[in-house]
Amino acid sequence: MHFPHILEFTHKKNNTIQLNSFNSNVTDCICLYYILEGKFSWMIDLQQHTLYPGDFALVLPGQRIGGESGILNIGALFGLKISAEDCGKLLLGKWSGLSKKEKLSINQILLVNKQQLVLKLKEAQVLMYNLQLELQNEEVGFYTRVNQLLDELFVLISRQLIRQNNSRRDFPQTFLKLEQTLRQNLAHQWTVEEMAALTGMGTTAFTEKVKNYSGFSPLNYLINIRITEATKLLKKNEVNVTDIALSTGFYSSQHFSTTFKKLTGYTPSEFRKK
Amino acid sequence: MNCIIIIEMGTDAVRVFAFDLSGNLISSSKGHYPTFHEQPDHSEQDPEQMFITMLYILKNLLNEKIYPKKYTVTCICFGSSMHSLLAVDKDGIPLGNAITWADNRGKKEAAELKQSGLGEEIYRATGTPIHPMSSLIKIAWMKNHEPEKFKQAQKFMPIKSYIIQQLTGDCVIDYSIASATGLMNIHKLTWDEAALEFAGITPQELPDLHPVFYSGVTLKKEYQRVLKLSPTVKILIGSSDGCLATLGAGVWENSMATITIEDSGAFRIIGDKIIEDPKQQIFNYLLTDKHIITGGPTSNGGVIFNWFAKQFGDFREAFDIDQSMEMLIEEAAGVEVGSGGLIFLPFLHGERAPIWNPNSRGCYFGVNIRHERKHFIRATIEGILYEMYSIGRTLEKHRHIESLSINGSFASIPFCTQIIADLFNKPVSTLNHADSIGKGAFLLSATEMGIYPSLEEASKTVTMHQTYLPNAENHKVYAQYFKVFESLITKVADEFDAISDLQQRYSQ
Repeated sequence: MHFPHILEFTHKKNNTIQLNSFNSNVTDCICLYYILEGKFSWMIDLQQHTLYPGDFALVLPGQRIGGESGILNIGALFGLKISAEDCGKLLLGKWSGLSKKEKLSINQILLVNKQQLVLKLKEAQVLMYNLQLELQNEEVGFYTRVNQLLDELFVLISRQLIRQNNSRRDFPQTFLKLEQTLRQNLAHQWTVEEMAALTGMGTTAFTEKVKNYSGFSPLNYLINIRITEATKLLKKNEVNVTDIALSTGFYSSQHFSTTFKKLTGYTPSEFRKK
Repeated sequence: MNCIIIIEMGTDAVRVFAFDLSGNLISSSKGHYPTFHEQPDHSEQDPEQMFITMLYILKNLLNEKIYPKKYTVTCICFGSSMHSLLAVDKDGIPLGNAITWADNRGKKEAAELKQSGLGEEIYRATGTPIHPMSSLIKIAWMKNHEPEKFKQAQKFMPIKSYIIQQLTGDCVIDYSIASATGLMNIHKLTWDEAALEFAGITPQELPDLHPVFYSGVTLKKEYQRVLKLSPTVKILIGSSDGCLATLGAGVWENSMATITIEDSGAFRIIGDKIIEDPKQQIFNYLLTDKHIITGGPTSNGGVIFNWFAKQFGDFREAFDIDQSMEMLIEEAAGVEVGSGGLIFLPFLHGERAPIWNPNSRGCYFGVNIRHERKHFIRATIEGILYEMYSIGRTLEKHRHIESLSINGSFASIPFCTQIIADLFNKPVSTLNHADSIGKGAFLLSATEMGIYPSLEEASKTVTMHQTYLPNAENHKVYAQYFKVFESLITKVADEFDAISDLQQRYSQ
């Protein structure tokens, strides 16, 4: 087995409708589908989707997919299943030649957008055919080529997700979405690269744009949100200071205490007592 | 060297300005905070985030720009947008987010009150048109729809009072902000009994009322220390953005008016008397009890052109929305006055003055087969400015106006300024300073400190930059199109209600 991470690769032409040919299942791997011909009605995570040629569906571990009424419609499609590592949390495994940072960014992008499962992605067609050729012919260099094509596919998907979600017509909207994503997972040690990737911008352009729009550097904006959330928790008087520090993304209660006091003049516990 | 710090809690950002005592801007800085729209008519902001953002921006400005230049802060003065509302519990902890002026959740409460005799009585007493923007309607809404929260609430206050309370411990409100709540009797300078009864609250549930010059509060020790400010630094509670912008626009003469158009906009005049309007179309807000700012606001200013650019702007060459808007303005400039008979009603956000109808909507009227994309661009800009003209004419029924001064990023686009001059058929001047609110707050502080003998003298120091003269030919064309614009609005009043109702029911 050359590619333990590729669980399945199919190029299917379906000419008849059969019952129970595509029953709804929770997947434990990454499922990718590219539609070549026909019209497919699927349920992905309880959402009804109709897919046409050029459409690409992406289903992540833990999500549910199946045909409507358990049927696979008439048509042609590519199907690809790839195993994820670390209990489904690491989507691009050791096979990937991307850098560690890039893998993390793509991971973030896919997870944040997992409600947006169907993309228009005509560019994927050539990739899928090439992948098929490499897997069939096993010519010299095919081992590297296959993994490269997979990397290329994930990069393409991520870029398309960003393009669909963040229009450069509307940076305020993009920024608001970023803020909501950060607030949902404040404990995560966000880097500027990760934040930039979520908006689909390069790090330099992103930093410049954020500074211009918000008056803060990206990391300072993040600290600002952290202190805001921490302030609310301190006022609630229910959670202890260390837990507040960690849940809002500070390294330690010491780090929290210093940062908080530097801005507000109070240590967290003084602030609570006031 | 001494300096004055202005803290302006604006609609989308806090702006901090530092002026020397002669009124020269030393430095300024802004920090953005987001607005959340959890539901279509809702518009909220996080009070803690606003406070932290303010503190951060203030501290950095002081440390990076003010202290290295050896300035000593002698006075801090506050400005803020109007109509926001925050409920806090018995410990002063916010019960949820602050509701902003743009929030329309109280549509039904406002419509009912407006139709009653009580509505007219409250408008006369408070000077604030009956509309969901006011604190009065927001509190009434909470009483009806969130009775638990309403019961838990110990105090209702605008965001500015919350910020000052965090810094000083005192819960205070100035006349300007208070006169825009719909709860203050602007004749008696007290909270209005009838309004409070309608809202279901007592005066104890509101901040203490003070003139804009009030400085009886002091910074908490912790903030003195962290901001490196002396205990004697004067904290001036200040005024509202609208009143300050009018002061900063230097329109003290009775024959002058000022137009502000940023995202939203307003037409304002200043005088020593409250102007009674039987049609309830205009507001009267207090700068002081002897200086009344009268005018009308629009919810559909630059934000509408921004919308147009997002939807229809060319982004193949433009790097961002600002550049795309510049390209649109260039295209619009090539179209004849009146956009070849294409008329745009800009009410995408509903509208405040003069029609005060949250259900009103946008409309392109008179489209014919020869109209191109460029006509729509120009019509959109003209429509936004027709609406400002319409507000201006409402004010002109009460006051003879000879000239205008303009401020705000949309109104200051030269192309727009010229259209304003042509529409009104009056000379329009731009100002020498970029931010009229900051300038107004400086003039207020400097007057309080005795640098100027009166606000009037202070406002005379404002200088105009450039004057745009009206083109009589263009005015003739605009005047005819404006007639159609105006009558169109009254003719589709029922359809505004019908479409807004359908939109609420069927759109997601």
